[in-house]
Amino acid sequence: MKIIVLNCGSSSIKYQLFEMPSKMVLAKGIVDKIGLKGASIKHKREDGKEVKLEGEILDHQAGIQYLLGVLVSEKYGCIKSIDEIDAVGHRVVHAGEKFSGSVFITNEVIDALEECVDLAPLHNPPNLKGIYAMKELLPEVPQVGVFDTAFHQTMLPSAYLYGIPYSLYEKHKIRRYGFHGTSHKYVSMRACEILGLDINTQKIITCHLGNGASMAAIKNGKSVDTTMGMTPIEGLIMGTRCGDLDVGALLYIADKEETSIQYTSTLVNKFSGMLGISGVSSDMRDIELAANEGNERAKIALEMYQYRVRKYIGSYAAAMGGIDVIVFTGGIGENDTLTRTKSLEGLEFLGIELDTNKSMTSRGKEEVISNVDSKVKVIVVPTDEELMIATDTHDIVEKLGEANTF
Amino acid sequence: MHETLADFSLGRSIQPRGMIQKVGVIGCGAVGQEITRAISQYGIDIVFLDLDEDRIKLIFSQIEDQLDDVINHWGLTPGEKRAILSRIKGTTDYNDLADCDIVIESISSRKRGTSIEERKEIFKKVEAVVREDAIISSNIATLMISDLAAVLQHPERAIGIHFILPVHKSRMIEVVKGISSSDESYQQVIKFAGMINKKIVRVNESPGNIVTRMLVTTINEACEILMEGVASVSDIDTAMKESSGNIYGPFEMADRIGLDKILKYMDNLYQEFGDKKYKPSPIIKRLVRANYYGRITNRGFYNYESGKSVDQTVTCAVIK
Repeated sequence: MKIIVLNCGSSSIKYQLFEMPSKMVLAKGIVDKIGLKGASIKHKREDGKEVKLEGEILDHQAGIQYLLGVLVSEKYGCIKSIDEIDAVGHRVVHAGEKFSGSVFITNEVIDALEECVDLAPLHNPPNLKGIYAMKELLPEVPQVGVFDTAFHQTMLPSAYLYGIPYSLYEKHKIRRYGFHGTSHKYVSMRACEILGLDINTQKIITCHLGNGASMAAIKNGKSVDTTMGMTPIEGLIMGTRCGDLDVGALLYIADKEETSIQYTSTLVNKFSGMLGISGVSSDMRDIELAANEGNERAKIALEMYQYRVRKYIGSYAAAMGGIDVIVFTGGIGENDTLTRTKSLEGLEFLGIELDTNKSMTSRGKEEVISNVDSKVKVIVVPTDEELMIATDTHDIVEKLGEANTF
Repeated sequence: MHETLADFSLGRSIQPRGMIQKVGVIGCGAVGQEITRAISQYGIDIVFLDLDEDRIKLIFSQIEDQLDDVINHWGLTPGEKRAILSRIKGTTDYNDLADCDIVIESISSRKRGTSIEERKEIFKKVEAVVREDAIISSNIATLMISDLAAVLQHPERAIGIHFILPVHKSRMIEVVKGISSSDESYQQVIKFAGMINKKIVRVNESPGNIVTRMLVTTINEACEILMEGVASVSDIDTAMKESSGNIYGPFEMADRIGLDKILKYMDNLYQEFGDKKYKPSPIIKRLVRANYYGRITNRGFYNYESGKSVDQTVTCAVIK
């Protein structure tokens, strides 16, 4: 079954064509600068053949038309006709409380996602554009939506509600949703596969540490808590996002600096986090370099980052009544050996014993980095959200097929 | 041979749906700059036309200062500022407007007398260079878009767009359909408004639309209250801000827009409607005669030092 996975952003579309269930990636690429000058498609085939094509791409539909055109082209393509595509998997950021798993996209699903636009005004509209475009271009092909928020829908009210009037939850659905769900789900499952454990009996903490970062507490395969909340601002300190912040402090800042709601949003989303603290960069590599050269603020920023991760590990241990596995993923989780190692410092009392040597050297590959006899297994698993989307899409479309044969 | 994307189309025709990728602004004074900033911020290329190269340099440095101010208030990152500036081009040549999807005339209305003839000339020059389906618009408060459209070969493309000051804070624009404006043009402007995150208030053509008409009568009434000695300039402003959540009081607003412009709006509306509620208050006339135009001259209803109001220039009559 050939499945194309789409991740539509405001002016870009990332795509991968999978052969399932063999998980083979036939081609992948990115459509960039949609609706802007200098629009292009960067395309790479499984055999390594690459191309960058430039031209005018007016909107998402045109972008998808072109990427399909490249996929069927003799020179760069890997399929003969678009009829070979059996299913489309879409990454959708926010599904609110509507969906707790991936779904076959129907008109009702689209309506429900339209209702969620208010919750993710930057992300959901382009996701929907991708769905609409595919619906028009490949009307007969089943489409599946895989949602960033869905995996965390298993959280209980005690974890997802905020301490504000309940009527606000009823009226506007103000609550914690969490994000990176596809990644948390994938790495937790994959970690159990590698370790030969049954996910349904494990207490797992997944740390997705990238430019945006979140952690999840996964008990018996279900997310019971996660660090991001109603928006991706909550939780860990990120590249340019502040993470947990006293709302009183924010109100005080808005008053003192005379900032509007929009400016305050820029402050906590783009000026804060590692960039704001260090004043150096939002990139961990730059900050570590600066810290090595004696930059005090860079050092503090790193310590804050590690401390926040460590604190959440402690709190998730409490939330689940223990920990069996800790998984690191995302650009920082997979490659930043120092941050990973330091974040777990002093947690031996929880049964976490790192193989410091391994933890300080393992980069970008699946590898256990705890001691052989560590009670808690610590493992690095590079995330693969596209594969997770392809897998979910495959499973759903297969079931659909079975249902139709009866 | 160099390959382009067009070689990889699926064979189905891709219908260009009238994307708005480039906007022209004619006249880049204080208001034109605000419009330029507000539009380029949303990823749209913009080319502004002004009188000479020196002006263009000055305009760029003024826009840069304004963006720096936003950065200082955490509203923009330095990277975003660079992106915004990279989308703005200045020119003195109408030919550079040729590929604009919308052109907005926004010349200063500071000069004495009516600016309608000058604006008509601009409309003609714009039409001579732009595509047939490009929208030609004017940011006019009290003049009529139909009067300007009358000079066009294709008057159906003319739509009035009135930006509300301060443009980056106000969340709406008034959109005026003239007598011959087409539905297509109107739809195109609605799309444009959506792209720059503004709500639309549709107005049937009438001098002053809604905002200017309400504003000048409020300012006139505020002058009456002042002249009667009921309260001081700043107290009237405070009362109007605190009671209704306005960002600016009537005198602050008048100083921001410019008393010379306010006077012109009032004259136009008085001429049009003949109702004395639009007749400029004697205080405004006296201030304008004394070149107290507001912020632009550092003197209006208030005195200004480095952009901040320091004291009031007009005191009210008080019986002792």
